[in-house]
Amino acid sequence: MFNSLRMSMGWVHTWMGLVLGFVLMICFFFGALSVFDREIDRWAIPDTRFEPQPMPSFDKVLKPIYQQLRPDPVDLAATERRVIGSLPDPETLKLESLFAYTTHRDPVLLIGGEFAIPNQPIDPADDHQHVHGRATVNPATGELLNDDALKIGSDWFYPMHFSLNFNWMMVGYWIVGLAALVMLAGLVSGVIIHRKIFREFFTFRPWKNLFRSSLDLHNMTGVVALPFHFFFAFTALVIFASNIYLPVTHTTLKPLHEHHEKLEAARTGLPHEPAGVAAPLASVDAMVAEAKRRWSERDMAGEVGFLSMNHLGDENGYVSIYRAGSDRVALVGEGIHFKASTGEVIREEPPRSVVSSIDEFLTGLHLQHFEHWMLRWFYVFGGLLGAICIATGFVLFVEKRKAGHAKTGSQGSRIVDALAVTTVTGMVLAAVGMLVANRLLPADLLGKGHWEQTAFWSVWGLAFLHAVWRSSPVAKARHNPAWREQSLVLGLMSLCAVGLNWLTTGDHLIKTVFTDTYWAVAGVDLSLIVTALIAFFAAAKLRAPVSEQKTDNALSRNKQVNAYD
Amino acid sequence: MNSQAALQTTNRIFAAILGGYAFTWGFSVLGITSLVALGIDFHEAETGLSLIAFLVFLGLFLWTFAAKSMIRVWLVLAGGSAVMMLIGTFLQNSLLS
Amino acid sequence: MTETIWLIAAVMAALLSMSWLALAYESHWQQVFPDTGTLPNSSRLKLTGWVFLLLSAVFCLNADHPSMAVLVWVMLLAVAAFSVAMMLSHRPAILKVICPQLFAVRA
Repeated sequence: MFNSLRMSMGWVHTWMGLVLGFVLMICFFFGALSVFDREIDRWAIPDTRFEPQPMPSFDKVLKPIYQQLRPDPVDLAATERRVIGSLPDPETLKLESLFAYTTHRDPVLLIGGEFAIPNQPIDPADDHQHVHGRATVNPATGELLNDDALKIGSDWFYPMHFSLNFNWMMVGYWIVGLAALVMLAGLVSGVIIHRKIFREFFTFRPWKNLFRSSLDLHNMTGVVALPFHFFFAFTALVIFASNIYLPVTHTTLKPLHEHHEKLEAARTGLPHEPAGVAAPLASVDAMVAEAKRRWSERDMAGEVGFLSMNHLGDENGYVSIYRAGSDRVALVGEGIHFKASTGEVIREEPPRSVVSSIDEFLTGLHLQHFEHWMLRWFYVFGGLLGAICIATGFVLFVEKRKAGHAKTGSQGSRIVDALAVTTVTGMVLAAVGMLVANRLLPADLLGKGHWEQTAFWSVWGLAFLHAVWRSSPVAKARHNPAWREQSLVLGLMSLCAVGLNWLTTGDHLIKTVFTDTYWAVAGVDLSLIVTALIAFFAAAKLRAPVSEQKTDNALSRNKQVNAYD
Repeated sequence: MNSQAALQTTNRIFAAILGGYAFTWGFSVLGITSLVALGIDFHEAETGLSLIAFLVFLGLFLWTFAAKSMIRVWLVLAGGSAVMMLIGTFLQNSLLS
Repeated sequence: MTETIWLIAAVMAALLSMSWLALAYESHWQQVFPDTGTLPNSSRLKLTGWVFLLLSAVFCLNADHPSMAVLVWVMLLAVAAFSVAMMLSHRPAILKVICPQLFAVRA
């Protein structure tokens, strides 16, 4: 099919890059936003605009809150389909395990648990016989956050980047997984086909024609952040490997896995099953104090990041306390397990093995729970560079082919260009549009979260329709005016969002930066203003139409870069 | 693109994605069971393989497009996967008996 | 506080490093010193550039836990390289400041 390595790699880079590039735009852009997901949550849910704090006292603050936790209706329905008979009244279900999770950026914390059900599974091999429940808690008031208050950052933008918020049969996850693999292939093939990778390292010539300057930018953004792009795509696959992408130990090697679990339980002293004997719960605060003491002794003083309890109310119950990894790349670690009824230490997890350390480092590098503001902003920068790399890829594809397509009457360039507008300006419009909807809709609106999601998809859909409607000039080798039009709308919408935040919450920038400093909200507002400035700048630049003659000349001069197709 | 070229392209893509995945799966099965048979802790083996599996997949993916003979590609990917699965599951059975 | 100082030092070292490495290439040298009849002393520029690259790594290691420092440094290099590329394409004259005579060679 191909005559040389360069040609084959060029084909992979161009065609697989194009198709999966539309998905990768979503991964990189929403991934970049996810760095500050919790800050976006604060902006979207004004009731949570207070300072983060470490995990509060379990005995005094958290314990009573679990009484309010209820089985999730969606999970309830899904579980009912997998068991014999119908499930008991959800109000009567009891928790058999629970967890609490917080990071250094959370004013509110996440709690959840599994509710036991008496029903037998339809498939005897199905060992998931419980219903999950999850809630966000305000530790100051002890209240659960309204389910309708969608955490736009951590529950929409964040899952967007790894699942496209398309959860039917996990299809979204699989599409993203394929996109990650193709990203890796795109990077390697890109290096193979790029001849002067070091000489052109700093090359960017915006004064040249669109094709040449886009190619410069595409190469530069791809190469200077190559380790970042590679590691993020790679760790994305590793993170979901054992549960989703390569669940070898849950299928082919399930017998070996089960065997190991039993050995592990025996070795660690952490019971796999409940004993069936009732037992009380000792003071968890005392266990936390002991855990902190042990961490200090190992020269790793820290806060609790994750707390879980298994076999609640049972003699075999145990409490696991993990340290928040805010000062290092690993997520949570140094787990210490306590017997729930007495508070004595069953097991202190030993230091990680080499393989585990590497895995933990790679996972932590991607999930970034660490407290390092400069590195966080560098990550946003890297994510945006990735998005620019892909977006310029689309521009290159169209610029190179549209003259030829205009002659043959093909609609190819036009279609790609319309899709490019949709996934570049259209996507940012959808995100900002969601924030605008969030401020316009009343806080106590029933199903507000669903309305916000509708707004998101609607704005994106409208952007797509607009892009298609305005794209006919591309079929005649000219530019699609939708780029400029959507940039203008984006600029206006971003400023609108900032204004609406001021109007609806009173938190304007003078207040959040100077008088009553609250960087989470100030950061989002400032980012929206910067977005507006970039959008207006782009719109201004896009005003001068490029003459057809100049494009033709430029393309014929660029024949030598067209070696791969 | 004429139908001959379309068929060739489809063949390559199927091989790269599905064939590569099958090989990677077999590679993981064989890798984990072999390491456990050599005395390595199961969880360590599982983690270790998850780190290298996707690098293997990436290599195969690119090779599929660079290779001259598609027959050889399918032999390696499908055949290799089958062989590794056989040996791997056999190892699992003997480890558990 | 000291962490911040080390990080600022690392940023400056990285920016200087990338600037010198870029200027080692004649094409970029000409962007900064057009029509001066000089050429870059490439070996000197590259050496200094690499030294400062390593220095920025040392500064990062002084600021943070090693696992974090590695990430900070790698990302810092990307940011620095991008910044230098942008300076070269929009305001190359800025880079004159860091180019004393000892980096130039008569053409």
